[in-house]
Amino acid sequence: MKINGTLISYFFICKTKLWLHANRINLEDNSEDVRIGKILHEINESKSKKAEISIDNIKIDKLTRDYLVEVKKSDSDIESVKWQVLLYLYKLKQKGVERKGKIEFIEKNKQDKKIHYIDLDEVNEKELLKICDKIEALINAPVPPTAKFENKCKKCAYYEYCFI
Amino acid sequence: MAKNHTRYIFSMGELKRKDNSIAFRNEKGNFYIPIQDTRELYCMNEVSFNTKFLDFISKSGITLHLFNYHGNYSGSFYPKEQLVSGDLTIKQSLCFIERRLHIAKAIVRAIALNIHESLYHYFRHGKKDLKQVLDWLKNDLEKLLNKELTIEQILFVEGQVWNRFYDSFKYFLPEDFIMNKRVKRPPDNPINALVSFGNTLLYTKTISSIYETHLNQTISFLHSPREGRFSLSLDISEAFKPIIVFKTIFDLVGKKRIQVTKHFDKSLNYALLNEEGKKIFIDAFETRINETFMHKKLKRKTSFKNCIKLDGYKLIKYIVEEKEFSPFLLKEKM
Repeated sequence: MKINGTLISYFFICKTKLWLHANRINLEDNSEDVRIGKILHEINESKSKKAEISIDNIKIDKLTRDYLVEVKKSDSDIESVKWQVLLYLYKLKQKGVERKGKIEFIEKNKQDKKIHYIDLDEVNEKELLKICDKIEALINAPVPPTAKFENKCKKCAYYEYCFI
Repeated sequence: MAKNHTRYIFSMGELKRKDNSIAFRNEKGNFYIPIQDTRELYCMNEVSFNTKFLDFISKSGITLHLFNYHGNYSGSFYPKEQLVSGDLTIKQSLCFIERRLHIAKAIVRAIALNIHESLYHYFRHGKKDLKQVLDWLKNDLEKLLNKELTIEQILFVEGQVWNRFYDSFKYFLPEDFIMNKRVKRPPDNPINALVSFGNTLLYTKTISSIYETHLNQTISFLHSPREGRFSLSLDISEAFKPIIVFKTIFDLVGKKRIQVTKHFDKSLNYALLNEEGKKIFIDAFETRINETFMHKKLKRKTSFKNCIKLDGYKLIKYIVEEKEFSPFLLKEKM
């Protein structure tokens, strides 16, 4: 299975969700936050007058002369967004396109700035490949890892599945 | 979700797509049904529509259930499958081959315990004649199920559970609703008419719920998958019959909200509900299925309807992860 942005972000958010999603038990999320996210995506798309770019199995929000831009609703999970962007940068690099990464958050709840920059360097490229291997191994396991309850589980679309 | 996502149409007319809304037109004029919080549409009368309409509700994820004039279920139209998992279908089939009996037993046990729970209410309120059937449901049945049984034997036990249940009606229902014998297709008396109508409503609700999971509707465990229907919905709905269908019937009959002379079709020997009867029944049924309570395991409020979907999740967990499968039990509230 090819690693995409969703999988890499789920790796940081929740391993159970990662397994279930990758094994095609993907549960629909009707939450308000997801709707807002989708609408932000549409607004962003109409503003830049360019549709998102699909390369292989990844989807890039915006590509400028210097930056690859990823737009998110909130900065609640910076770590996962960071690696998502690094994956995109890595994939682009393989195609011979080198860019820097820029993350725009609409709401800043945890951090004090709305824009974050991240670049692919030797260290995090190595780390990225390691993470990809780990994801591969995880999703090929015969059963999903058992979920442990955390606060964030409360608003997850998989909550009922995990804790029933 | 406390919101009611179900719309019933009782009159003859035409369903149309009107811009981004559903319009229902009959001789009284146009009625609009907001699409946003509709998940299911029930047509209880002759209704016409075209493919443009079907395409529209399909895109909006709405299930359409069709009934003929007599209240018999004709079929469902549901959006093309969004949640398809080939992997799970394979595992579900394997599960049928290797672990069918285990699931079938779990369902029969749940039927019995939920019947016990609903009858116990009457026992507590003075109907002491129920003692024998209550004891049988609780003790003897467990012993029976602990034996090694073939699927035919399990089905026989299930039949006995229902027969003893129907037989016990004489201890607490008014005389004109006592059931001599369960008769289906077509039902031959008022109580059979209520049971058939209620079971069908529950079955269609279950189809809509299973649709929201990745389970394959045709691979079932208690019922034979050869029945050519969505037999998994028959399986999953079983445990809910005593607590949704029969609870609704007992309440309506007990409180005399449904009466033989008023709410049944005389010309057919009272074997069919008339329109008013159907409306009263559906209203009570919807109230019951949307009733919310605290789910003990999830520790959040949930409705009976959502519990049907949760039983689907339990089954997936049993199929994929071999976690114990036990259908919803009213007593445990989970």
